[in-house]
Amino acid sequence: MTKRTWLGRAIGIVGMGALALGITACGPGGDGDGSAGGGAGGDDELVTVGFVAVGPEGAWREANEQNIQDTFSEDAGFELKFAPAANLDQASQIQAFSSFIDEGVDVILLSATAGAGWESSLQRAQEAEIPVILIDRGIEPDNTDLYVTRIAPDNLEVSSSVAEWALEEFPDGANYFVLEGPAGVSVVNERNEGWDAVMSEHPEFEKIGAQTANWSREEGRSVFETVLRANNNDIDLLFAQNDEMGLGAAQAVEEAGLVPGEDVKIATIDGTRAALEALADGQLTFVAEYNPMFGETALETVNTVLDGGTVDPYIIVPSETFDSPEAAEEALPDRQF
Amino acid sequence: MTAAEPIVEMHDISISFPGVKALDGVDFRMFPGEVHTLMGENGAGKSTLIKALTGVYQIDSGSIVVGGQRRQFQGTGDAQEAGVATVYQEVNLCPNLTIGENVMLGREVRGRVGISWKATHRAAAAALARLGLADLDPTRPLGSLSLAVQQLVAITRGTVFEPTVLVLDEPTSSLDANEVEQLFGVIRGLRDRGVAILFVSHFLDQVYEISDRITILRNGQFQGEHLTAELDRSTLISTMIGKDLATLRSLDAQRAQREHEEGARPVVRARGLGRAGGITPTDLELQPGEVVGVAGLLGSGRTELARLLYGADRADRGTVEIDGRPVTLTSPAVGLRHGLAYSTENRRDEGIIADLSVRENIILAIQAQRGWLRPVPRKEQDRLAERYITTLNIRPADADRPIKNLSGGNQQKVLLGRWLATNPDVLILDEPTRGIDVGAKAEIQEHVLELAGEGMALVFISSELEEVVRLSERILVLKDREKIAEIENGADVTAETIVATIAGHDQNAEVVA
Amino acid sequence: MTQTYSRLRAGLGALAHKPYIWGVLGIVALLIVNVTRDPGYLQISVNPANGYLAGNLLDILRESAPIVMISVGMCLVVATSGIDLSVGSVMAVSGAVAMEFLQAASAPQSTMSAAMALLLALTVSSLLGLVNGVLVAYVRLQPFITTLITMLAGRGLAKVITGGQNTSASSDGLAWIANGRVLGFPVVVIIAIALALLIGYLVRRSALGMMIEAIGINETASRMAGIKPHGLLITVYLLSGLLAGVAGVFSTATVMTVDVSNTGYLLELDAILAVVIGGTALSGGKFSLGGAVVGALLITTLDKTVVFLGVPSAATPAFKAVVIIVICLAQSSRVRALFRDRRGPVRMKERVA
Repeated sequence: MTKRTWLGRAIGIVGMGALALGITACGPGGDGDGSAGGGAGGDDELVTVGFVAVGPEGAWREANEQNIQDTFSEDAGFELKFAPAANLDQASQIQAFSSFIDEGVDVILLSATAGAGWESSLQRAQEAEIPVILIDRGIEPDNTDLYVTRIAPDNLEVSSSVAEWALEEFPDGANYFVLEGPAGVSVVNERNEGWDAVMSEHPEFEKIGAQTANWSREEGRSVFETVLRANNNDIDLLFAQNDEMGLGAAQAVEEAGLVPGEDVKIATIDGTRAALEALADGQLTFVAEYNPMFGETALETVNTVLDGGTVDPYIIVPSETFDSPEAAEEALPDRQF
Repeated sequence: MTAAEPIVEMHDISISFPGVKALDGVDFRMFPGEVHTLMGENGAGKSTLIKALTGVYQIDSGSIVVGGQRRQFQGTGDAQEAGVATVYQEVNLCPNLTIGENVMLGREVRGRVGISWKATHRAAAAALARLGLADLDPTRPLGSLSLAVQQLVAITRGTVFEPTVLVLDEPTSSLDANEVEQLFGVIRGLRDRGVAILFVSHFLDQVYEISDRITILRNGQFQGEHLTAELDRSTLISTMIGKDLATLRSLDAQRAQREHEEGARPVVRARGLGRAGGITPTDLELQPGEVVGVAGLLGSGRTELARLLYGADRADRGTVEIDGRPVTLTSPAVGLRHGLAYSTENRRDEGIIADLSVRENIILAIQAQRGWLRPVPRKEQDRLAERYITTLNIRPADADRPIKNLSGGNQQKVLLGRWLATNPDVLILDEPTRGIDVGAKAEIQEHVLELAGEGMALVFISSELEEVVRLSERILVLKDREKIAEIENGADVTAETIVATIAGHDQNAEVVA
Repeated sequence: MTQTYSRLRAGLGALAHKPYIWGVLGIVALLIVNVTRDPGYLQISVNPANGYLAGNLLDILRESAPIVMISVGMCLVVATSGIDLSVGSVMAVSGAVAMEFLQAASAPQSTMSAAMALLLALTVSSLLGLVNGVLVAYVRLQPFITTLITMLAGRGLAKVITGGQNTSASSDGLAWIANGRVLGFPVVVIIAIALALLIGYLVRRSALGMMIEAIGINETASRMAGIKPHGLLITVYLLSGLLAGVAGVFSTATVMTVDVSNTGYLLELDAILAVVIGGTALSGGKFSLGGAVVGALLITTLDKTVVFLGVPSAATPAFKAVVIIVICLAQSSRVRALFRDRRGPVRMKERVA
C-alpha cells in the first residue's frame, strides 16, 4: 500500500520533471505532428526514416545531425524520426532502434555510441527487411552483411593525413604525444590506426605516450599539464584526436610558459569553428577536417537503396585539411559547425 | 486431554548474549493436544526461549528433547525436521502470490515436468480444509485478503508438513475481536488433532480463554508452570512482575505525602484523549508537584497514552489544555515548547544518540528548541553537563565520552538530565528504571520525589507496581488499551490492590482487541 | 627544539587516530611513487614566463578544487544518512548557466558580467539543491531516488540551457577565478580552502554539525528530543547544491567552455568515494569534513599519478580501483582486527623488550 503511493509519487515527480525540463521534447518520436506512424500522413508519398542518433556530444555532432535533419525534409519527400541517445547511452539507442523496427519505418540511419553489441538488433532489422545505413560510426565486429553501407569520412585517411603533415613539419623526427578519446570507441581505434600506420615507418618519431582525455577540453588541459611536467616540457608534437582536447592542451601549453606552435605543435581532427579560430590565432598548428556535412550523400544513398540499386559497403565523405592560419581564416566565414 | 508424555522437554536451558544472561536454567514442557502459553514482561526471555526451540538460537547449556529424541538444533531447518513449525508475529508471506502458492511455498508438488501447479493447489486446498478454511479459494491472490485471514493462511502454511509442535508468536496483536475468535477456532481444531501449540500473547483474556497451561518467565528465569485452571490472575500477574503476594501485602508503601493547594489549577488537563489502535479516549489531570502513576501490563496502552500527551503521536480525538489553554500537540518539538518532556521506554531506539557524547546528549533537547543557528555556548554546555553529571551521579563522570559506552542506568540518567535541562513543567517517565541496576534505580526514584517537591508534575510509568505505588499520589490503571480505574493512593493501597483491579476487571470484561 | 619536536609528535599522534589517516597515507604513498619516477616531482618553482608558482603539487591542488567543493557538500548530506547523486549534473547546469549568460551578455569582459554570471549560476544550483531538500524533507522521498531524478533532469536541463551545444564564452573575471593567481598562488585553491574552512567553521561553531549527526545517527530519538529535521535537511541539500554550483564554475571556467555531456560527469561518485575515504560512514552520523577534503585530494592525486606514470588509458580504471580498494580495506575495522590478531604475540614481545 505504502509502496504503491510511494511509487506513484516517484513517477509523478519524474513525469513533472521531464515535462518541466523539456526532456520529452528530445525523446524518441520527435515532433508531435505526423509522427504517429507511416500511415498517418495524408500524402502517402513520404518515406519514413528513423535516425538513431548520438545526441549532444559536441559541435561536430551537432552539425552532422542537424545537417541530416535538414536534408531529410518533408519537401524532399521524407519524414525523419530523430532519436538521440540519452547521455550517450547505448541501451537507449538499442531501444529506439527496436521501436523503429516495430513501427516499420522504411530506412534506419544509425550513429552508434558504442561499436559492439549491435548484432541482434541489426539481424532483427534484416528480418523485417528494413535497410540500415550506418552514419559516421562503425560497428564492431565490422560485419558488412548486417548493414547496407556505412557513410563516413574515413578516419584512417584523416588521421594518416595528420601524420603525413607531421612528417613534413618535422623532417628530423620529433617526440610526440597522443590525446585519445575514451578507450574502446571505434573512432579512437581508427584514428590511432591511421596515425600509427604512417608513424611505424618512421623511427625518428618517438611516441612519449598516449592518454585519454574523454574528448573533453577540460580534461585535455588537465592531462596535458601533467604530461608536460612528467616529460620536462620535452614534447614537440601533440596529436589530439579531437579539437576540444587539442584546445585544452593548448591552454596547458601556455600555462606552462611555453608557446603553442613553437615549443609544442598541436594537430587536431574535426575542424570545428573553434579549432579554426585557434588555428588562425596560432594556438593550433594543424587541423584536419572530419567532414560532418554528409546529408546529401546520405540522401542519395537512401534513394538508391529504396529503388533497389546497389551501393558500396563504405562510402567515404571527402574531407579537407588546414595547415596554416591563412587557410583557417579563409575557411572560417562559411564554417557551419 | 493431557497425554502422559510431553512432546517437548527443554531442561535447564541457558543462553547468554554479550553482557546479558538471556535465559538462565529455564525448564519448559509442552504436551500434545494442549495450548501452552508463555508469560512474562518484556525482557523476561520469552522470545529467546522460542528462538531456542525453533533453532534460531543455539543454546549454551541444557537439553532439548522433541518427540522423545534429544536434539541439537543448528538452524531452523533442523527444528522443522523435528516437527516444530513457527508462525511469526509479522506475517511473512508474499502478497502477490496466490493463497495456494503461499501455503505450499518451498513444498510445491512436483509433477513429471517441474512443478505441478494443479496438484500443488489441490494439496493447499486439503491443508486449508483440515483447518476448517475450506471456503478459501487457493487460487486467489493473498493480497486480496484481510490481515486476519492472511494470518490464518500463515498458520496453514505452518501446518502443511503436519508438525507436532506449532509456535504462534503473538498472532493476535493486530486482530480485532471477531478475527481473534476465528483464529481461536483454528487453534482449537489443531489442538484437538493432537498438535502441541505454544501461544504467546499480551492479552490476559485471550490467554485465559485459549490456553491449558502457562509457564511464567521473569528476568530469564523460570518462575513456574501451572495449569491455567489452577492459576488465578492475581498470582499470575504478581509472579510476572516478581513480587509474591505476601511481599506485596507486607510492603509498607513509603510514599511521600505532599501538600497541595486545594483547587489549584491543573497544569495539564486531557479530556477524552485517544488514538485509534493506540488507546481509547482517556481523561487525565496533572497538578503541579504531583506524581501520577500509570500501572498496567505491557501492551495495556500506557506508552501510547504517554506519547499522545507529549505529542510524539498525534491524537485523533480529545483535547489537551496546558495551564488552561487548549493546545494541539503535533510533534515532540511542540510538546517541549509547552513545557512537556517525555523520557521514552525505548532508550536505545528513541532515547540516546549513541555516537554523541554525554554532553551533547544532555544539551540536545534545549539545542533543538533554540534551533541550529543559536548554539548553546560551549561554556553553558559544560556547565549543564557538569551539573547533571554531579547531581544525577553519572558514572563515569566524563562529559566527552560517547553515551553508548555508558551502562544502561547511566544512560538513563543522562537522558533524565536532557529532559531536566529543558526545565519542564511536566515530566513523563516511561519505564525509567527498567533494565538498570538497583543503585541507579533508587537514585532515579529519589530524583522523582525531589522534582515533585520542587513543583514539577510527573507521570511515572512502570511495570514494577510497588515502585508506582511508592512514588505516586494517584494511579491510573490501564488494561487492554483502556483506563479501567483511577486510584487515589493511600495507606490501604498496595501493589496487590492494583493487581486485583487488573485481574478483577478481567473476569467480567469482554474480549477487547 | 625538544618542545617543537614533542609538539610535532603529539600532532602526529592525534592524526594517527583520525579516521582519514589512511587517506593521508595513501596520498603520501602516491607521492612517493611519483618521486621515484622523477625525483623533482615535489619541486615547486617560479615559472619565469609568467611569475606563477608551478609544480605538480599545485596542479593537484588546483585540480582538486571542484572535487573538494562537492565532497564537502556530499559529506554533510551523507551525515544525515542521505546521499546527493545530483552534484555532477548540478555542476553542468551551473557551468551552462554561467557560459550561456556570458555568451549572451553585452559586455562579457566586464567584472559586472562575471559577477552576474557567477551569481546566476549559484542561484540556479542552490535552487536545484532546494528542490532535493524539499522532496527529501517534506515529501519524504528517499534521498537516493530524489537526487537520482535531479541527476538525470539536471543534465537534461543543462542541455536545454545550451541547446545541446558545448557553449564557450570569454570573461576575464571568471577565468581569473579558475586560472588566476594571487602572489603566484592559484586563486581557485585559495577560494576552495576558504570555503571549506568557512563551512567547517559554520558547521562546528553553530549547532548544525551536532544536529546533523543526531538525525544521521538516530532520527527517531532526535525527533523525540524535539529536533525538527525539515530545516536541517533542506539546509544541507541546499548547501550541497550551492557547492556543486561553485564546483561547476571552477571546472568550466578553467577552459571557459561547458561540455554538457562531460562537465561533472560521474563526479558524484568521486565525491562519495572522497567522503568514505575520509572516514564518514554512508549510514550517516559522525562526519569529518577534513576527511572529505583528504579524500578529494587523494582522488585527484590518483588521477594525476595515473597520467604522470603514463598508465595506459585502458588500464586506468583498474589501477584506480585497486588503490581505492586497498585504502578501504585498510580502513575496515574487520581487516585491521585480523591483522592485529596476527601480530598480537609479536607486539607483546616488543613491549617486553
